[in-house]
This record gives sequence, C-alpha cells and structure tokens, in this order.
Amino acid sequence: MSSRGHVLLDADAMLGRHPARDVGAGTVAEALAGMDRFGISEALVGHTLSWLHDPRTGNQALLELVAGQPRLHPCWVMLPDTCGETGTPAEFVTAALEGGVRAVRAYPVDHGYDLAGVDAAPVLDAVAEAGLPLLLDAAQTTWPQVEAVAAARPHLAIVVGGLGYRVLRQAAGVLARTENVHLGLANLSSHCGLEWLVERFGEQRLLFGTGAPTRDPAEAVTRLLWSELGDGAVAAIGAGNLRSLLREKVRVA
Amino acid sequence: MNPLTAALRERRPQHSLRIVDAHAHAGPYSLFFIPDAGPAAMVRVMDRCGVSHAVLSSHLAIQLDAAAGNAATAAVVDHAPGRFTGYLTVNPWQDPVGEIGKWGDDPRFGGVKLHPDLHVYPLTGPRYAPVWEFAQRTGCPVLTHTYDGSPYNDLPMVEEMAVRYPGAVILAGHAGATPLGFDAAIEVAQRRPGVVLEVCGSYNTGADLARMVREVGPRQVVFGSDFPFIDLRMSLGRVLFSDLSDDARAAVLGGTMTDLLQWRDNARRARSSQVTAP
Repeated sequence: MSSRGHVLLDADAMLGRHPARDVGAGTVAEALAGMDRFGISEALVGHTLSWLHDPRTGNQALLELVAGQPRLHPCWVMLPDTCGETGTPAEFVTAALEGGVRAVRAYPVDHGYDLAGVDAAPVLDAVAEAGLPLLLDAAQTTWPQVEAVAAARPHLAIVVGGLGYRVLRQAAGVLARTENVHLGLANLSSHCGLEWLVERFGEQRLLFGTGAPTRDPAEAVTRLLWSELGDGAVAAIGAGNLRSLLREKVRVA
Repeated sequence: MNPLTAALRERRPQHSLRIVDAHAHAGPYSLFFIPDAGPAAMVRVMDRCGVSHAVLSSHLAIQLDAAAGNAATAAVVDHAPGRFTGYLTVNPWQDPVGEIGKWGDDPRFGGVKLHPDLHVYPLTGPRYAPVWEFAQRTGCPVLTHTYDGSPYNDLPMVEEMAVRYPGAVILAGHAGATPLGFDAAIEVAQRRPGVVLEVCGSYNTGADLARMVREVGPRQVVFGSDFPFIDLRMSLGRVLFSDLSDDARAAVLGGTMTDLLQWRDNARRARSSQVTAP
C-alpha cells in the first residue's frame, strides 16, 4: 500500500515455473514476497501447469496451493468441452465456484481453439452465467473474437491484458462498441495510453495487473502510480474495479 | 525502499537523482497510434516522474526521411532546450555524409542514431563508415538499435564495430532486446569497454538489468525508455525497483549518460590543454 493509501490488487499473476524464462520456482512464497516488494495486497493467480501443461490438473493443483492464503485468489483455465477434459460446462463452473475460484482465464491460441467459435460457446455461456470474469491475454485471441464473445454475452466481464503498445486502434474500437470489455495494465505500454483510455472510456474499464512473473511488476506499479490520473481513478484501477467485478459478478455457489 | 520508490508511492516526482533518458523519440509513427506523441506531452511525462533530460530522434527520421526528420528532431530540442538533446539519425540510403556535415557540429545534437533493422542495412556495412569515423574522431556516442538474431544489428555486429573503431562509444539500444540478446550483449560489453548497454524494450526486467550491472559494471549500462514509442514509465519502473546499489542506480539512470554527452566539452578541453602544454 502506498503512503497515500493506494491498495493494489493484481488481476494478472501466475504461480508455477516457466520453461523458457528465468522466473524462479513460482512458489506461493515467491509470489507473496514479490507482492510485498511492490506493495501489492492481493492477487488473482493462475498456474502455469494449467496454461502450459494440463488445465485439469493445474486447476486442481492451484486450489491446493492457495488454500489458506487469503491474499491469493484462484483463477482457473477453461477449455471447450468438446473432449470432456474439464467436464461439462456445468460441472466446470460448479467445481470452480465450490473451490472458491474467482475468475477464469482462456488461452485459445496455445490451447488450439477458436474463442468465438461454437466449440467454446457452451463453456463461455456457463462462465457468464456463473458471473465469473473471463481473463485473456491479447496475444491469445483477436479483437474481433473478443468483441464477438462480449457482444454475445453482455453480462460476461472480459478483461484483456498484455496489450503492448501497438493495438490501441483495435482495442479502442472494441471498447467503444461494448460495455463489458475491460483492459488490464500488464504491459499496457502505449505512451500516455492509460490516461487516453481513461479519458475516452472511463476509469472503470481499466484494472491493475502485472503479468507477473514473466513481466516485471515494476512496470504496472510505476505506470499507475506515476500516471497523470487523479487519486480516485488510481484507487479504482488499482483495486476498486476488480473488487467490483468479483463482488458483483460472482454468484454464490 | 529507495528515495525513488518512496516518491513513486507518494505519487510525487522524484528529485533525488538526475535522470537522463538515453533512448527517446518524438512524433507519430504509422504502425500504431500514439495518443500524444509531441514534445509538450513528453515534457509533461518527464515532469510527472522527475526525469531531467531525454536524448531523442524523431520518428520521422528513423521511419522515413532522415533529412526532414533531423530537422524535426532539432525543432523538438528547440521546444525545450534544457530538457532535450537530439540524436542525429543517419540512414545509410539517405546521404550520410551530408547529414553529418549539416548537423554534426550543431549543439542541439549530442549523438548519432542508427536503426539498421528499419533501414534494412547491416551495422557493419560501408555506408555507415562516415558515422564511425565521426564517432571515433569526436567521441560522439552512437546509439544503434540491436536485436538478437537480426541480420542487420545483432550483437556480434556491434562487437565487430567496437573492434574496428575502439575509440567509438556504442550504445547498444535495447541491449539485444530478448533474454538471449541480453546474454550476448553482456558478453560483448565485457569484452569491449566502448560498448554501453541501453535497457529499454518489451522483454527486459529489473532482474535482467541488475544482472547487466553485476556483469559489466554500472558505467556500461544506461537507462532508456524508447518513449513515446513505448511509455517512459515502463522502463523507468524496472530501474527504480531493480536490485542495485544507490551509486549504481544513479549511474544507470543518468550519471553515465550525462558524462557521455560531454564529448564536445571534452574535446575542447583536450585542445586547450594541447595549446597550453609546454
């Protein structure tokens, strides 16, 4: 927490090892130490086992790792139910809610499916019905896919992170035509882009996230706290918007 | 918490160090939208964070037209002379000798910028020879884009130029740009004291930066942001939080680059001492 009281909740963090980056062992202890270093109070975390090996076992392992960790909130990885790997859509979201999962992340590129296609639709419908936010990395999808999924499910909150600095033309169009698409701060690196987005679309469309550990949390922390935004907007982006999404959206299991 | 991160947490500009951004640009860029790419917004961002100075080349110069772009760079410097110094962009296809002749003595320019990837021409090619001869003769630093595996500006090519022109100061922009590139850049800088690693980019972390400083020393690593191509605060944040001593952080953030920009004064002093020597 900053001396001016800004609480930071990380909507984009990960436990586990990475096969191609030197990010440590990805333990809970390392994650908590990193959060302390950067003044981050709580984090929504996934696990690289779910992303880079097997969603089903990774999702279960994540619940065991964050059990008893009040600062870490689990985020599961979804798959289309075409092969039954994570159960039926109803089974998937029921298990997620019973396990205290607060959001769902999708990797359509790495997991080989079309986010906006018919195969993913049933599980996306179930995720939306359960009120779980859907988290995406920009590199894992396309903006037309994001828009199509958002338009088909107006009550599904979608958070797209990892924008980089080259996609404002596309992202701005989707933000203008939807109300349920949000952007994460992890690698949101257009010059003055954060301020431009807030001015154009409102602070409620932005959420703090670091992309840790593959991205350095110093980026998002510095970008937000040294932004030209007022303290109210910084508080909303730093924590309030995510709290609202999680509190208002998740249906009691 | 160091004084810089303390200032950040309080959301006030830092004033404990002179921060110099060794890698900046200015103006629009066709590949993507930059919300506010002009010098006024650049100064505003610098003031917000407490960055004293930035050394820049206009996007026009690197992307399309060196002559018009160098004039644009000079105009940006004129906008805030105490805050900006220009890099003279040399495009190997657009009259290198003429551009160096036109701007080489202009005090608004403090370095030369090369972008071999954009200009599709190797750093080691003969069209760049006037740049290296100028740099060797004057001490004017040369910032070149680098990228691991590039056919035009990979780290072995930086080393080749450092060997051929041992008096030249070469800023390796992005320090190779990727984790593999960082390893290669460190090895080159360890062997070639004239090579200085500049750390902006999309794949760098504070841990990478700390490793560079451990391996090559703080006088061969400089902060750059690439702004407004990329927001300045991305790279600056990595340096703020990286595991560096106070002295090393001061050198990386501005001390070294401030010294490197003194090449004209150094040359004047050298000439003066030669005249007065018995």
